[in-house]
This record gives sequence, C-alpha cells and structure tokens, in this order.
Amino acid sequence: MAKRYGKRAHGTKNTPIKIKINGQLHEFEVGRDLEPETTLSCLLREKLGYTGLKVACDEGACGACTVLMDGKAVLSCMKLAVEAHGHEILTIEGLPESDPVIQAFAKQCEPGYGTALQCGFCTPGFVMTAKALLNENPNPTPEEIKEGLSGNICRCGCYSGIARAVQHASHFFRSGQSAGQASHPAHGIDGKCTEHASRGPAPKGDKR
Amino acid sequence: MKLRKSEESVVKTPYTPRVARKFIGAYRPRIDALEKAAGKVEFVDDITLKSRYPGMLYAKVMRSPYAHARIKSIDASAAERLPGVKAVLTCKDPEVASLKPTSAGWTDGVDTVSYERMMWRHFRDRRVLGDHACWATDEVGAVVAAESEQIAEEALRLIKVEWEVLPFVLDPIEAMKPGAPVIHPEIAPRNILPKDVVGGSDVFVDRGDADKGFAKADVVVEALSVHHNATQASLDNWCCLVDWKRDKLTVLSNSYEADQSRMHISQMLGLPINKVRVISSYVGGQFGRGDTGDQPFFLFTALLSKKTGRPVKFRHSRRESFHDSRQPAIYTGKVGAQKDGTITSMYFKSIGNSGAYADHTMFALKFAPTEITEVALAHIPNVRMESYGVYTNKLPACMMRGVGNSQFNLIFGHVVDMLAEKLGMDPIDLALKNFGHEWGTLPDKSLSAVLREGAKRIGWSAKRHKPGAGPVYDRVKKRGVGFSFHPAWHAEWQEARRGEIRIRITVNPDCSVVLDAPTVETGTGSNTCNVLGCAEALAFLGVGPGDIVWPHTVDTETSLKDCVQTDSAVSYLQSEVTARAAREIKARLLEKAAKLMKAVPEDLDIADGRVFRKAAPGKNMTVRDVFRLGDMLPIVVELGCPPNAEKTGVPYIANFAEVEVDTSTGRVQVLKLVVLNDCGTVMYASGAEAQQIGGQVIGVGEALTEEIIYDEATGVPLNFNWIDYKIPTMADMPEIDPALLEVWRGAGEYGACGIGEGTVTCTPRAVLNAIYNAIGARIDDIPVKPEKVLKALGKA
Repeated sequence: MAKRYGKRAHGTKNTPIKIKINGQLHEFEVGRDLEPETTLSCLLREKLGYTGLKVACDEGACGACTVLMDGKAVLSCMKLAVEAHGHEILTIEGLPESDPVIQAFAKQCEPGYGTALQCGFCTPGFVMTAKALLNENPNPTPEEIKEGLSGNICRCGCYSGIARAVQHASHFFRSGQSAGQASHPAHGIDGKCTEHASRGPAPKGDKR
Repeated sequence: MKLRKSEESVVKTPYTPRVARKFIGAYRPRIDALEKAAGKVEFVDDITLKSRYPGMLYAKVMRSPYAHARIKSIDASAAERLPGVKAVLTCKDPEVASLKPTSAGWTDGVDTVSYERMMWRHFRDRRVLGDHACWATDEVGAVVAAESEQIAEEALRLIKVEWEVLPFVLDPIEAMKPGAPVIHPEIAPRNILPKDVVGGSDVFVDRGDADKGFAKADVVVEALSVHHNATQASLDNWCCLVDWKRDKLTVLSNSYEADQSRMHISQMLGLPINKVRVISSYVGGQFGRGDTGDQPFFLFTALLSKKTGRPVKFRHSRRESFHDSRQPAIYTGKVGAQKDGTITSMYFKSIGNSGAYADHTMFALKFAPTEITEVALAHIPNVRMESYGVYTNKLPACMMRGVGNSQFNLIFGHVVDMLAEKLGMDPIDLALKNFGHEWGTLPDKSLSAVLREGAKRIGWSAKRHKPGAGPVYDRVKKRGVGFSFHPAWHAEWQEARRGEIRIRITVNPDCSVVLDAPTVETGTGSNTCNVLGCAEALAFLGVGPGDIVWPHTVDTETSLKDCVQTDSAVSYLQSEVTARAAREIKARLLEKAAKLMKAVPEDLDIADGRVFRKAAPGKNMTVRDVFRLGDMLPIVVELGCPPNAEKTGVPYIANFAEVEVDTSTGRVQVLKLVVLNDCGTVMYASGAEAQQIGGQVIGVGEALTEEIIYDEATGVPLNFNWIDYKIPTMADMPEIDPALLEVWRGAGEYGACGIGEGTVTCTPRAVLNAIYNAIGARIDDIPVKPEKVLKALGKA
C-alpha cells in the first residue's frame, strides 16, 4: 500500500487535506482552500498553477489532464481533490526535462513516423500516461503501448510518433536498468514513487 | 537509441530530396519539441489564471434550449442580485442591441478585411447576443460576468426567459420545400441562400456543354455521396480574456489569426485599430475552427469588461466547443466517357446544410470546387457544377481542415471508381488519362507519381480484386483496397489574395538571429519550417537553426501582420520571403565589410561566416569581426512581398486504403493507409510526415466513427461530448505509411505546395472505395457505421 500522509477520513472542515505534490507536502482546508466538489485538476491548475496538465473535456474522455497518483495514471478531472488526501501526485512539472519519456517525445523524428507532438496540448497527458505505463510495464509491446495509451486523444494525430517515442523511452528504461544507472524502471524517474509500483493495473473505468 | 530486433523491422525509408539542402527538408525535431514535451508551453487558458489576473471575472453566455425560438421577454433581475455577479448584459441592453449584424466569415483567412468588405456581406445573419435562437445551444439572450464560473452559471439559471418556440427543420431537403420553417426570412425567404457575389450563381461552373458531352459518351455513371458535419475538435477549447481599460482593449486569444481579430473587434465596437491589441500565443489545434475567428463572444466579453472595469475571461466547455463543423454536403455526380476512358462530360450538384448561419457555407460549396475545376478538371471539355446552401436549425457549418475539398473528393473519387469499373479499366489508368492541370500535359507527372507510388506501397496489383470477390478470412471477413486522389492546395500562385507576406530578420553583432515571421503557432510545423528556411537562407553567416530565435507570440502592437494559418501555405510562404530578405542581409553585410577591408562590395563574398575577397579567398575576416570592428549595429531587414503569381499548376495528393470488413457484424477495420503528397519541395520532413499521419485521425474519424447526432423530435444535439462523439484513439488507428514526393515544382526559391489540409481530403473516399472492393456493395454516406454495412449487404 502507498504510504499515506494523513488519516483516511477527509472532507470535513477540521481535517486538513494533505497531498504531496511533486515531492512537496501541501495542506488544504476544506471550505477555505478547496471545496468538497473541487476536482484535482482544478486544484492543480487553477489554485496551484500546475498548468502542464490540460482540461480539454472535463469528463474523463481525453486524457489531457492525466497526472500520476502513487505512480499510476489518473484523470485529474475525474478525481476529487479530497480523494488525493494522503497520496503522492506527480505532475509534468515534477519531471526534469532530462526525463527519458520527455526526451523521447521531444526527439522523435524517425522517418516514417512523424513527430510525437504538434500543437502540444495533449502532450503532457500522453507523457504522464506513458510514464505510468512504463512504471508498470517497462518492456511493452507495440500492442501494449496502443492499449495503454488509448485513453488519450491527440487530435493532431501523432499516434505513430508517440508510440515510437514510448518504444524508445522503454528501451532507455531497459538499458538504464542493465547499466545500473537509472532507478528501477517501476519507480518514477525522480525515484520518489516506490512501494506502490508493485500494485496491480489501474482500476478499469478510469479511462475511456 | 537502438530498438529491439522486432522493432527494427519497421524502420522506414526516408524520402529522397530532389535538391540537397543544408536544413530545408530535414528530419529533425520541431523547434518547440522539448518545451512542449516538458509541458512548458503556455496556452491562453494557462496564462489567464486568476492568480495572474486577480481582478478577473468569468463570463458565461445563455444558450438556447430550443432548436428554433425567439425571446419574447427576459428578466435578469434575480441574476443581478446573486452575490458574486458583477454584470449582466441582455439582448435588450442598448450597447448589445446596437451592434451591427455580422457573420463569422469575414474573410477566408488569408487577408484582413473591414466590415464593408467582409466576404459574405450578403449573409450577415448573426446578431451578437440576439433574441433569435437558430439552433439548440445557440448563444442568445444574456451574458453574465461573475467572480466564478459556477456563480455565472447559477446566475444564468436565474434569468427568466419567456420563449416563443418556433417550428424547426434539420434536413436541408425538407428545408427547401415550400411551407418549411424559415430561419432567416430577410436573407433567404425559402432557406436557400441567394446567389452571391463571391460564389456566383447557382450554376457556378458551366464549361462547354455538359449535356452534349453526355450525349457523346459511350458510358455514363451517376452517383451520390453524403458528407456529414464532423467537428474540428481542437483540444484547446475556445478561450479569451478581454481587458478594457479606459479607452483601450487588450485581448488574449487562441484564435489563429491576430490581425483579422483586431480588425473585427475594432470595426464592431467602433474603436480605432491602435486601441485594440490582440495577443495570440500557442494554440492547441486549429483545424479550421471558427471560420476566421470573427466570433461574437469576443464582443460580448469586451462589453462585460467595459461595464465592470475588470478583465473578463470567457471559455468554452467541451460541450460548448461543439461550436462549428465541416460543411455537410449531399453531392450527386454524373460522368460520361468514351470507351477508351476519355471523359467527355462531368456534372456535380451539391446541397449543403449550412446550419443556423451561412458563415463560409458557399466557400465550401462553390469556391473550393471552382478551384478544382481550374486545375484537376482542366482537360475535361464539358463541366457543369451547381450548388445550393440551405439554412437549417443545426450547428453552423463552415471551415474544417480541407474546406470543401473533402466533400468534393467524396463524390469525385466515387464517380472515378464507378466509371473505371463500368469501363473495365484500372481506376489509376482512368485517372491518368483525364486529370492534370491547365499548365501541363497528360498524363500528369505528379499524379502519375503519387498513384504509382501508392499502388506499390499498398500492393495494389496483388490485392485489388473484382468487387466482393476476394478471399474470405475467418469465415466472415473480407478485404479490399481503394484509393482516392485530389489536386493539392495551395501553390504560391493560389495565395495571391493574401497580398504582402511581411517578415523581418535581425542579425545581431554576435550573429545570433531573430526571425520575426509572425503566424499563430497552432502546431502545424510552420514555425520549424520558418527557422529551417531562415537557417538555409543565412547559411553564409555560418549559422544554424539553433542560432535563430522565432518569437512564438503574435502581438498586434509589436509584431508585423501575421500570416494566417490557412490554406496549409504558411510553411513555405514566409520562407520564400525570408530567402529574399537574406539576400539583402548579405548585401548590407558586404557594405559593412567593404569599409573595413578597403574593398568594394562587388569584390567580396561571404561563406561559412567569413567575408573574403573573391580574387583572394585567403584574405578574409569573420562576420563577427565585421560587427566587432565596425559599428556594432545589428542588421535589420524588413521585407514584404506578395506571393509569386506565376501560374505553375498544382501537384497531386492521394490516399490508398486497405480495409477488412466483418460481414457478420458490419464492422470496418482500416488495416493500412498510404498517404502520398507531392510537396514540390519538402520544407520540413518530420513536420510534413506528422501532418500526413496526423490528418488520418480526422480522415478515419470522419469516414467511420465521428458524427453529430440530433434528437429528431426536438432538434437537440445529443452527443456534444467525447464519449459519444467518437474520435479515433491510438488503438483505432491503422498502420500509416507516409510518402513524401518531389515531382511538381512551383515558382520561387522552393516552389513548394501546402500539404496539411489535403492529408484529410482523400481518406474517406479511399476507405469507401476499399469497402466496395471488399464487399461489392456501395455505401454512399459517411460515417460508415456497422449498420450501414449490414444494410448494404442486405442483412439489415
């Protein structure tokens, strides 16, 4: 089980909501900092300024708002902020630019596959989903990549480039493992997400 | 990074450039790739957070619950009393009611025009916040500014409206009949848009004598094709922040044109142009959304800002972003040919469902097909086209990636396929026998190249069989191949309407470069084309793309006029001007160097960052030294040139599809798409491939899954969300093989042609022809849902 930073009970005015975001512990008071109905995406974007995640559909259909909760991809528009109590949230701002997934998305230009991004609006969501996929399965087949990223929409249509970038990133994960450089592929690249990496797949119904 | 063996097998062959160049045509990351991958770029919704604008209010607009209705009375007093509400404007307020009637199609996006010169000035059917709702969810009646979006929404619910519910009509054929509900009686008494000055009369092309041409034909085929109103579905919902302080109005916008937005706002609100400032930063996808962006919401948001003295933000929810769509069209086509395949006559008629407002309906229905007649159909002696745009109470339809062309291709590729079958010819041979452009001979080299290459890559000769007569897989599945082709757009000569393309290059004393080539960054890749073009043109300085800064923000107060992201043409239009400006840079640099080297400029030349005497290359100095030892002033060259109007025809594009149809369920799966573009010159290979591959998401979506569904009983759209409006995901997309070719060549330094929009155009027809080849039954309307397949097979 994930390490929790507070009691499970949450949502009352007297219990502060504790969420670790990009390694930093935040405390929120319901009624003052957020409302019971405040979504995680709203808290992160509107209140805290983590604008890397995007809200494009606000109903769990497109994946643009994906962040990691304890290393798993979650749709932050479909999570209430109070549900993140006691959990670790990682947004794209918490990743260094040297992150192998970010690098692979940025560098993809292999002939025949196009680039992995055009307008870039969906990209942070794809990057975070890809992080979660590789956390769980550092060695995905092309079919597993398709399945794993099919909750995200890229209207510019860069799916070929994205799939290729994820393959390249997975190779980095694998070689990093053998060279003993990177942390265990199941860990976040920042090494912060630890125990929960061995959890089962994300609950069904979280994605389109 | 090396891939595993299983992955290496799919490594693909890069295209071969016709002319070897240093930077142009490269496979490389976009200039903004790392920023975007790291989530660092900021879109308008990101830069307009309340933390950045503490006094900011949020606007929400009332939307009609009825497909057709009038507001008889409106009472906003309860809304005004709600705590947190700072302003309410209704259709009865004089500042709203006095606004001129307008259109969301002022220009086709290439140029900036005034109110008087707007493109569809005879169809000014839109009122800003009027009392006449013409489709369910139309913006009408009232708008609220409040401290939060929730309060604004609550306030809207408190506004009491007495509606006069009017009869409505959704189908254009029904709308044309006598007695149908009339939507804009002052413009179109029978809902049929009148003849207009831009599109011309209802019969808008009448070359030769089509009837005589059919009489001479040995074979005649007739066909129907129906294209629906897919929506652009940019992820970045429409959003703006308007701050009207004293006499000046500043707009942050994700519209894809800044200069025209400024003109629109200035003209509609009666402000001097220099009192309106429009800033457009990164835009999360465009695809033709909002015609030219002349949207009423800029105006009512501005009025709310004026009334409250505070910045006001207005943004669409996803539901509200179903705001415009492709122009649906019901096309009938007829083509006649002699036995040898020589086409004697062609006739096309379209009925377009304009939806609630005319906007650019007639651009799609007349303008685009007219262009096609000038090029692809140049060798057909008899051609007649007629078209009718019809008002209904549906979502307005207008520009979407490949405006008008996608709809025309659906019928064009249909009749070609049918005629070939009837003649017993290969459709590739039939195409090459008849289609090219006015400035070339048949067979057209470009068309031949794209079709031959496509045939090779899809395995045409091995896989094409008699309709429905191929092998059966898994007892119930049948496969087929098909293709469609289209003339590309736009070559430089077709962009003459734009007027001057203006750019500015600044070479600093350290040889770093600022390229001011403004265009709103919507993701198309033109920013990278610009920088590659600039690096290519300034290669003599010894600089590369990394030395060039391209400001991504267009700000009408500080930038040159933006070259609007339309016609897929920006990528090379600005580079052509940059190439000229670079020659001027060189001349200025030689003058500077001549003084220091005690020579005349004519005796000097520059290469790889060094100025040298032509007669004695050993005598040289670095460009940096020219600055360092000279006046240390940057060289700034600003240049405006109209596009080269030399008529050079156009190249061709094509898509080949292989599909598998499950005859028991009706499910169609696209197995492979080959996307071919003759680019003239590939400006940026990775970007071009991204457009080719990316366009298929819209193309396959339009062909198979995307559709706006209405409740016929109420006229209310039912699926304004991305659960029920089905955009293909990675799991839905087939293998895509992008093929870049350089066969045709236009005028100018690069002689390139746009490709972005065209990548979508041929996909639905290629898929439909492949389905026919698989099952031997034609389906005339898209999207091809399983029930249509079963019906075509006589199973439903």
